[in-house]
Formats: sequence, C-alpha cells, structure tokens
Amino acid sequence: MNFGRINALLLKYWYITKNRWDRLFDLFYWPLIDLLVWGFATIYIRQLSQVNLLSSILGGIIIWMFVWRSSQDIAVFTLEDFWTRNLFNLFSSPITTSEFISSILIFSLLRSIVTFSFMTGMAFLIYSLNLFSIGVFNIVVFSLALLIIGWALGVFITGIIFKFGERIQVLAWSVVWGLQPFSCVFYPLSSLPSWAQKIAYYNPITHVFENLRAVVFGNPINWYGVLYSFVGGIVLLILALVFLGFSIEKARKNGLLVRGAD
Amino acid sequence: MKYAVEVRGLTKTYKSFRKKFKAVDNLSFNIKEGEIFGLLGPNGAGKTTTINMIIGILKKDGGKIKILGKDFDENKEELKNIMNVASAYHSLTFVLSVYENLKVYAKLYSVKDYKSKIDELLKEFGIEELKHKKISYLSSGEKTRVALCKALLNDPKILLLDECTVGLDPDISEKTRNYIKKYCSDNKITILFTSHYMFEVEELCDRIAFMSKGKIIKLDTAKNIKKMIKKEVIELNLLKDYPKVKEILKEKGLNIISYESNNLIFEINEKHNISEIIADILKNGIKIEDIHIKKPTLSDIFIKISRGER
Repeated sequence: MNFGRINALLLKYWYITKNRWDRLFDLFYWPLIDLLVWGFATIYIRQLSQVNLLSSILGGIIIWMFVWRSSQDIAVFTLEDFWTRNLFNLFSSPITTSEFISSILIFSLLRSIVTFSFMTGMAFLIYSLNLFSIGVFNIVVFSLALLIIGWALGVFITGIIFKFGERIQVLAWSVVWGLQPFSCVFYPLSSLPSWAQKIAYYNPITHVFENLRAVVFGNPINWYGVLYSFVGGIVLLILALVFLGFSIEKARKNGLLVRGAD
Repeated sequence: MKYAVEVRGLTKTYKSFRKKFKAVDNLSFNIKEGEIFGLLGPNGAGKTTTINMIIGILKKDGGKIKILGKDFDENKEELKNIMNVASAYHSLTFVLSVYENLKVYAKLYSVKDYKSKIDELLKEFGIEELKHKKISYLSSGEKTRVALCKALLNDPKILLLDECTVGLDPDISEKTRNYIKKYCSDNKITILFTSHYMFEVEELCDRIAFMSKGKIIKLDTAKNIKKMIKKEVIELNLLKDYPKVKEILKEKGLNIISYESNNLIFEINEKHNISEIIADILKNGIKIEDIHIKKPTLSDIFIKISRGER
C-alpha cells in the first residue's frame, strides 16, 4: 500500500469536488433542504401530538447521512472515471486495486464528516437542537456503524458498475433510498407491518436508529443491537470488497477497464 | 541479450454471448532497449489489444510479457512505475485543469519534483498557456499534447504510444514526432508506437511489425518491408503520341497499365533495369518530357495487408 498514490487520488477527488458545483451541492444543499423540510414538518407534528420528536427525527436525518453520503460518494466518484473515460489512464498507472478502494473510502469519510458538521451546525442554528446532547460517544458509535454499512453499500454498487458498466449507474442513486423504508430511520420497528418488520429486523441499519430513539427518549441502549449493526456492517463490507475486487478483475479480463463504458 | 520488451505467445480472446473473437493470436516479438518499435495494421488487427496487455490494463489469456528482463505479472507495481502510456482514445479527467490532472498523475507515479517537470513538459509541447484550463475546454490536438505530457511525467523507460498523434495539425504533429525522436535518443527509452499514419511510422520507427488478425505477418525495418511489393510503377509523359512505345514495352514483357493522352504508365519488377528501358525508348526517337518513378510505400503494404493479400 503506497500512501502517496492514495493521496494522489484524494487530491483528484478534492479537485473534482471543488471544480463541480453539483458535487458541492451534494455536500450542503440537499442536506440543508432535508433538514428544513423534515424540521418544519416535525415542528408541526410536535404541536399536534405534544411529543418531542425533534431530536429523534432530525437526529435520524443527520446520521442517516452517513449511509447516504458514503455509499453515494463511492459510486459517483467511480462513475466519474467511467464518464470521462479515465479508467484507462488510472489503471495503467501503478495504482493497485486496494489503493484505489482505500482512497475512495477515505474521501467518502471526509465528505461525510463535512456534511455531518454542516448539518449539526445548521440544526443548532435553526432549531436549537444540540445533537451531541445525546452523548458524543453515542453519536460516534452510531455514525461509525452507519458509515461502515454505507461503505459496504457503496463498494457493492461500485462492484456492480465494474461488472456491468455505467449503464447500471441508476443504482448509485437508488439503492440507498430503496433501503430506507426498511431501515426505521424516522419510525420505530414496531410501527411497521409485520412482513416489513421481518425485513427491517435483519437490516443492520435498523438497530442503529432503534438505539438512537432509545437514547433520545431516555431508554437504555440495546448493545446487542449495536453490536449486530457493527458486525453486520463489517461482514457486508468484507463481502462487498471481495465482490468489487472480483468485478475489477473481471473488467480487466473482458476489456471494460479499457473501454470505460458498455 | 536483455530486451526492453519481450512478448511470448501472447493470446487474447474476447467472448460475448455466443461469439468468440481472437484479438491477439500467439503473438511473439522482442523490442531492443532504445528502439522505437512500430505496430501497424488495419483496424481490428490487435495493435491496441497488445498495448493494453503490455501495460496490464487488459488481462491476457496466455503468454508471457517481460519488461527489462522482469516478468510483468510478478513485478507489476515496480514495472508500471517505469512505464507510461498515451492513447488518443482515453482522456484525462474533464473537470480538472491541465495542471491538476498532471499533478495527480505525477503523484501516482511518485514524481518528486513534479512542479518543474510539469512546467518543462508544458513548455516543450507549447501548451504553457493551457496550464490552468480545464480539459473539457481543450481541442482534441491540445488534449493529445496533454496526454503526451502525462505519458512523459515519470521519465518512463518504456513508453507506449497508441495512435497518440491523432488530431494534431501537421506542424504540431511534426514537432511532436521530433520531440519523441529526440527524447528517445537522449534518454535511451524504448517506445512501442502504433499509428495509422504510415509516413509517421516510417519516419520514427526502427522496426515495424505488420499485424493482421492478431498475428504478426511481417517484422522488419521499413526499408525491408517495402520490398514486400516488388513492383515499381513508372509514369512517362511523352512529347506526343508514339504508338510504337507500346510495342517496345511489350517486347520487354512489361505490363502497361494505361496509355492515354501521351501519358504512359507501366510496371517494372526487380528483373528489369529502368535505365535500359528508358535508353531503348529514346533510341527509337521517342521524346520524353517527364519521368515519375513510384516506389512502393508502407501505405501500399498496409492496403495490401488490409485487403488480405500477401
């Protein structure tokens, strides 16, 4: 593993981010819109139900960002190389597959931290919500678990892109949102219909949000659930990494790395 | 003898749903250190596939590749650091400026003093003013020059150039060729070069491999390859119509291609002596205004091979 080469790709992703307005929008605009829409909706619901939902809903939105941001960034920054037919130059350089993957994971982490910081700051300014009031340790643990799961999803989607080419790019935007209804981000597991509960129960993301709500409502954390999220996330990440490595090798064999697109 | 590039039994077959296509078929060749080696052939001959396998971006089905005596597969990371490639078909990242792109690649190739190296190359290719322009705003000729800068960033010992002069105007194209030539002799680097421009290959390459259907069908110097076509075409512009000239040539067993408006075109082969033929024509009182001798070019060979003639 050569950190100089990882640094080179981080530099490239930074240049893409700073040179493209849509990549900057990803970081700030959409998270802010989410925060405003859900925040105002929650304020209205709170007035009706007299139950304090602000921390639960907005906290959910803010840390859900770790799944969304990390998975989407991994896929989109890979697609960027497909779109510009740059895979040839990239993979003919000394960069190894592990360095390529590491750089993209690190960059998605950095972007997630930027968006997280922005959202927590805005939540405080607009709604006087201090997310850290539920405990810095809890926030770090929940965020880390979601980040790992987000990485697993992003790496898996990237693997599919390398296997089938950029025609499959719609997955980069849709997989995470397809998973959200079964992740119990804004509502408890018990509120789902029984068939959906069965799916959501095995989803490692669910247990992070169940525990976030537990902390917000003053209930004890179910550490078994947190552990399940971590282990599940790590297992998924390992499987996704193996799949991505296999897909890149396959792309090297069938010429997709050369063609850059199918 | 240690070669810069040794290719042994290289094979690549592309498989789609029901079809198989052998792009490179048991290919073998050596390139000496400091040599400029050309791969020529019609579209689909396997030139680009060969280059892609040598640089490791395309996995080969069989065969061995050695770079400076080392097995490529076993020393990929080390060898890629001393190799580089420029291709007309692949771009750098559009949204990055020329400098940003070159900086990223300089870091990927662990180039130490990258700032001065980038400035030096931009100056050499006459594109200093494009330094902070995004790739997406460049013309195809400018993109090609940036791609060449990228390919020379790490002072490669082995340079692969795949139709890299496509889109360059004649002036820049000539400058680029001269630069490549000078760079190769100054730095003793080895170049594997493909191009559709025959004159370019003839001017640059020490040896040429003609490829067709994934195989090398002729490997030699340009001079020797041109001997594949043994006939030369002679064109005589006569002062007036001389019907006798046809008889003279027929007596010598020469093939007349055409004789119209005092313009006579005929073929000679290696057995004939052109000065004797001209002397005989003049002896018969026939006056010649102009003589053109058309020697076979690499283009003729290229066309011959493309049409499947041997």
